[in-house]
Amino acid sequence: MTDVSSEFDHAAALANCARGEHDALHQLYVHEGARLLGVVIRIVKDRGMAEDIVHDACLNIWQRADSFDPAKGSARAWIFSVARHLALNAIRYRDREVTFDSHDPTELDLDEHFQHAFVVDEAFDWQTGQRMDSCLEELEPERRNCVLHAYVDGLSHAEIAAHTGAPLGTVKAWIKRSLLRLRECMA
Amino acid sequence: MTRPSQHEHEDEDDHTLAGEYVLGTLSLEQRKALEARLPNEPELQQAVMAWEERFLPYTAITDQVTPSDNLWPRIERSLASREALAKRARPASAVPPRPRRMLHSLPLWRGAAGFGLAAALVMGVMLANEVTSPTSPTVSTTPEYMVVLLAPQTQSAGWVVQASSRQEIELIPLGTFEVPEGKALEFWTKGDEWQAPVSLGLVEPGQPIRLRLDELPPLEDNQLFELTLEDETGSPTGLPTGPIEFIGRAVEI
Repeated sequence: MTDVSSEFDHAAALANCARGEHDALHQLYVHEGARLLGVVIRIVKDRGMAEDIVHDACLNIWQRADSFDPAKGSARAWIFSVARHLALNAIRYRDREVTFDSHDPTELDLDEHFQHAFVVDEAFDWQTGQRMDSCLEELEPERRNCVLHAYVDGLSHAEIAAHTGAPLGTVKAWIKRSLLRLRECMA
Repeated sequence: MTRPSQHEHEDEDDHTLAGEYVLGTLSLEQRKALEARLPNEPELQQAVMAWEERFLPYTAITDQVTPSDNLWPRIERSLASREALAKRARPASAVPPRPRRMLHSLPLWRGAAGFGLAAALVMGVMLANEVTSPTSPTVSTTPEYMVVLLAPQTQSAGWVVQASSRQEIELIPLGTFEVPEGKALEFWTKGDEWQAPVSLGLVEPGQPIRLRLDELPPLEDNQLFELTLEDETGSPTGLPTGPIEFIGRAVEI
């Protein structure tokens, strides 16, 4: 897999956005729009909502570009974090509003999505061409999958518990311990 | 081996909390609490960014999805309208606010309270024209908004939000409201495309207040305003938790 992102200077794009150059945001959108939308759709599972979030993320990036400090992290991580956290806040807010009805068709869709997600797991290579870094690799597969499902699919503790069959407390502890192990390994 | 100090424990906890935030497993309340801390806590910021970097490569797991053709034009339009408003807002904020002529017409409003939304809206349009046209030469370019907040049960008007610009609003009571002991009215707004309502603070029954919306996107058509009954110190979660006492949507006039 070729890494298109490496051909693009995200930090320069943000600096130009901060100077008020519309074209810089457009270039950023051209380079990362499809990737951002892919990341957001996977979390919110609704195309219309996902496009709204990418719209909001672009405006956010534009407005906050001058607050990005390259000394504190990479521009690409910053850009994706803006979109991901808008998406995560949106689904946590939505889930809070929804009262589940067992006949609700949207719930069925979600269930199918989750089942699908967990079935493909067995055969699914999380690496997809990316290097599976050694720290994550050291985690037991079950815990690693919890962590990655949370990150990629935006699953809450409760959702992970429901769909792995593990008790909620266990899932919480797994994730916490996985994060501690990852941190130690990274240090 | 020495026991880790309390401080180290806190660091450790915050680092894990930052990791859970980035993974996305926290509840909305926990997320909002952490986001509220971020601006003032550089160490927490650093921990969040470290996790962002850490997990970023795994965004490659997701398939790319080509946005629909109208998404970029939509972004561009939003960008242009934001900038146009920002340019207009700057000189405007330097001049003192216009006299609050609206208040002179309050008896009219109180009269309208029982008439329901349609009557109130018609009067709103008339009032707004009367108030703005002689004093404001920019009336044709500056959008004006009016919101009548109705009690959901009785559909009677309780408050009016009047906006003379997209960044400044005034909340005007049309009557009194009995707040139960230990409770308070909290004022909220939410644009169509926002993910969650934003608090505009607590409101005293019967008291008008004027608010600047500098931290928020410009007022838009159909933007929701509501007053909910919350604990006397405001909603504990940063989102509405109590019953809606008054609700209405902005109408451009």
